[in-house]
Amino acid sequence: MHEVSIAQGLLEIAIDNCSKQGYKGIELIKVKIGRASGVVPDSLLFAFEVLKVGTIAEKAVLTIEEIPVSGFCTKCNKNFTVEEAFVISCPLCGATSFRIETGRELNVDEMEVN
Amino acid sequence: MKVKVVTNILEANDRIAAENKKIFDEADVYVMNIMSGPGAGKTSLLERTIKEFSGRIKIGVIEGDIAGTDDAQRIEKLGVPVIQINTGGGCHLDANMIREVTDDLPLKDLDLLIIENVGNLVCPAEFKLGEDMKVMLLSIAEGHDKPLKYPLMFQESSALILNKIDLLPYTNVDLEKIRKDSLSLNPKLKIFEVSCKTGQGIQEWTNWVQTLVK
Repeated sequence: MHEVSIAQGLLEIAIDNCSKQGYKGIELIKVKIGRASGVVPDSLLFAFEVLKVGTIAEKAVLTIEEIPVSGFCTKCNKNFTVEEAFVISCPLCGATSFRIETGRELNVDEMEVN
Repeated sequence: MKVKVVTNILEANDRIAAENKKIFDEADVYVMNIMSGPGAGKTSLLERTIKEFSGRIKIGVIEGDIAGTDDAQRIEKLGVPVIQINTGGGCHLDANMIREVTDDLPLKDLDLLIIENVGNLVCPAEFKLGEDMKVMLLSIAEGHDKPLKYPLMFQESSALILNKIDLLPYTNVDLEKIRKDSLSLNPKLKIFEVSCKTGQGIQEWTNWVQTLVK
């Protein structure tokens, strides 16, 4: 259940950004979560609903964009994307020489404020 | 009004972890973050390691548990400084929890600080604490499917200690599969086979730790 600390972290970032820029309320927070980040979207949404109460994000909606795990194989020189949360060999040629390019994201991307 | 933010959610944790690392470096202490599922033998490995280094390397310990002081009491008996952190339900240690106890340890007198994370094969792998190295344990009876089921910890760790190796004749575990899958996830992973009960393999582990600390 570390989704609670993740939800707390993203709320702090959003509230901080909102206040610094002189806005009063947050309507929407968009986050990008990589599939290999270990975060369970449903748990994150639940934690967010609990933690936002009493803050300037009380009426905010959280939307989560899931980013799949993708990489580049240095043997077959091709990009690949997988369904799983990890890669142990290139899904195209089976080589183990590859680099992971996406899937570990845990970012607040943008928000709508008023 | 739309506002672009693009900030990593764990940035606050990573910032504090970097501060912790600075404190540890200034005190010239090597820091190891030990992670595993519950009951894999983290505290037993600590006991073995502390006994092995007795009089040679000065060790301090931070114990992370959801509740209780059982582990800290076991370590205290060995005469090394130990701090217990109770997370009160939290499934992992984070950098701020470590920051709050750094003043309570005689860091300058230590060569090695071992942080025993909360027993959990998932979340501890995601939070930097300011350590020099992450080490994980897997007790072999947990099964050979674990590397691919819990890939992150295997990817984040520098060493994998396969504990309870003395149980091998009584299980159906495929040790080669654990090795193969772990190394596929993390080709640089250093793997040790030990039994904290019989002492088998402990020497190889401590010899390696010695090269890191000094």
